[in-house]
Amino acid sequence: MPPSPVNPLNPPAVLPGSASVRLQGLSKSFAGTIKALDRVSLDIGAGEFFALLGPSGCGKTTTLRLVAGFETPDEGRIVVGGRDVTEMPVHRRDMGVIFQSYALFPHRTVAENVGFGLRMRKIPRQEIDRRVSAALAQVALTGLEGRRPAQLSGGQQQRVALARAIVIEPPVLLCDEPLGALDRRLRQQMQFELKQLQKQLGVTLLFVTHDQEEALALSDRIAVMNAGRIEQVGAPAEIYERPRTRFVADFVGEINIVDGTWSGGRLLAADGRAMPAPPAAGRDGPGAIAIRPERTMMTAPPAGLLSGRIVTTNYLGGQTLYRIAVDSGASILVKDGRGEGNSVRAIGERVGVLWRAEDAVVLEA
Amino acid sequence: MASNTAGRVSPVSAQTRRGRKATAVGWLIWPALLLFALFFLLPLGVLGVMAFLSGNPVNAPAVHFTLRHFQRFFADDLYPEALWATLRIGFLTTLAALLLGYPLAHLMARAHSRIAHALLLMAVIAPMLTGIVVRTFAWMTLLQDRGVINTTLVALGVTERPLKLMYNEFGTIVALTHIYVPFMVLTLAGVIGRVDERLEDAARSLGATRWQAFREVTLPLSLPGILAGSLLVFALSISAYVTPVLMGGTDVLTLPMLIYQQVSSSFNPNFAGALGLILLAVSLTLVIAYNKVLAGLAGEEVS
Repeated sequence: MPPSPVNPLNPPAVLPGSASVRLQGLSKSFAGTIKALDRVSLDIGAGEFFALLGPSGCGKTTTLRLVAGFETPDEGRIVVGGRDVTEMPVHRRDMGVIFQSYALFPHRTVAENVGFGLRMRKIPRQEIDRRVSAALAQVALTGLEGRRPAQLSGGQQQRVALARAIVIEPPVLLCDEPLGALDRRLRQQMQFELKQLQKQLGVTLLFVTHDQEEALALSDRIAVMNAGRIEQVGAPAEIYERPRTRFVADFVGEINIVDGTWSGGRLLAADGRAMPAPPAAGRDGPGAIAIRPERTMMTAPPAGLLSGRIVTTNYLGGQTLYRIAVDSGASILVKDGRGEGNSVRAIGERVGVLWRAEDAVVLEA
Repeated sequence: MASNTAGRVSPVSAQTRRGRKATAVGWLIWPALLLFALFFLLPLGVLGVMAFLSGNPVNAPAVHFTLRHFQRFFADDLYPEALWATLRIGFLTTLAALLLGYPLAHLMARAHSRIAHALLLMAVIAPMLTGIVVRTFAWMTLLQDRGVINTTLVALGVTERPLKLMYNEFGTIVALTHIYVPFMVLTLAGVIGRVDERLEDAARSLGATRWQAFREVTLPLSLPGILAGSLLVFALSISAYVTPVLMGGTDVLTLPMLIYQQVSSSFNPNFAGALGLILLAVSLTLVIAYNKVLAGLAGEEVS
């Protein structure tokens, strides 16, 4: 980066460009035994907002630490912007990293925290000052330059961490549950700001979270991870509407899973009745389908595919969520909107449950 | 962090809670306070009074106020030189303990396996279980003219005559460093252990090498530990008696040795008192200055 003449009329720093991230067969074990990552491959496009979603211990943070360079993979390659960075030390990778705990330097002021990366790059003092001011303006923290992190609120600390990461103009931003420590209200606001900033900068953003709502709301694409493997990659609507595996279906939102046996392209329940499902030719043996509660309907008991008794009702505002204990022993969730013929039903009432074949999703294994 | 927590609780309730806590356990401080008064403040007061008297009031009733013990100290080069030697040994011992102790403390604080941590802790603490005299004798068997090191060096033909490794300041500092380095390590390990490792990760992600990350983050954040450890080792080594006597021989004369001579063979407790007071005043001044310098380096972190 050549030192540019100081000009107060310069527009705020704009990223020179974002980079794609390609992970090829990454494996990583800790202490010899635990396989934290098992041949993970991903292609993340330049400028994409990409979420790694999964429960704790699924390998999502390990993936992020491998991309950042804090760990080295046992196998596999990491390619950023067409360049293989697998062996490159952390300090040369130019990644912006935002930590869950923010990891702000407690002994330095806000301005010193934000300017740290520029100072390490031996950028002239005046340009550091200019770029720090611009970054702080971008996260709406102008005027707090002289404060120390302990004197800031959680949300302000989060913004300092953000400013510190973007001021070095990284082609890729890596965020490890960056909003996890904030309360719900602040989190929603920061989600919005983070998304806006990412679009404005055009930076590739790799985001780790266990919060499926956050992942669905923010991301262009999501990779759902489980036990060191990727279960499914897709756009939020795809992940939600068409989960491929039982794990994804179960982890993302509430869902009903109906087990049965595939026979002649139809799923048969234990009592031998065919469950409405898209035709699945060529499948045989045990299988399952999944139906979202909002795609499930209640009728009079004889008209339903399954029948049971309402156990709980949760009034959610516009809708009501019913838990129904089905006679076969399973329980089914039904989300019912208010409207004609949809009066609120009482606990204990016997109802039938049904769904349309095209609303059921066939799960693999 | 502390201000953060206090901010959430209303100031009134925080105050009453603190007040109640203080009264509930307040009386537990009294035994320690009594000990401190009886065995530190009282003797210190006696020392301070004796230093300005012409004789011992217990057996010579006709004592009067005098400054002659202090005049005597500055009249003879022997005494300021002993003070200077004491401070020099204290300073070099502290420096050596810091340079040896910091890496060890860092390793201990950052050891991820419990076993490694326990082994390092044992290695640091175990020598403290043998007495100072025993450890000093151990160093004598190593550093003597016919000790392990010199015998080996001569046998290998590295030197013709044995090196003078003890009965001088060098030997004294070596032994003192060995004896007091655990205090440095234990103090530092506690402070380094509280520095979040992710801060170094953050520094490295921003373009700092491992060494830069350490220098910019962990080192300044561990300054309070460096301060505390240094003060501890400095205070212990300027007041050491046994080790300078055994390792220093006739070449080394420190103030504690002089004080011992004045009390046990010259029977002059007044001059001994004056020497003690001078050592206290000089070391206190140095400690305060050191504190100021380090606090300035660390900004507001060292309070």
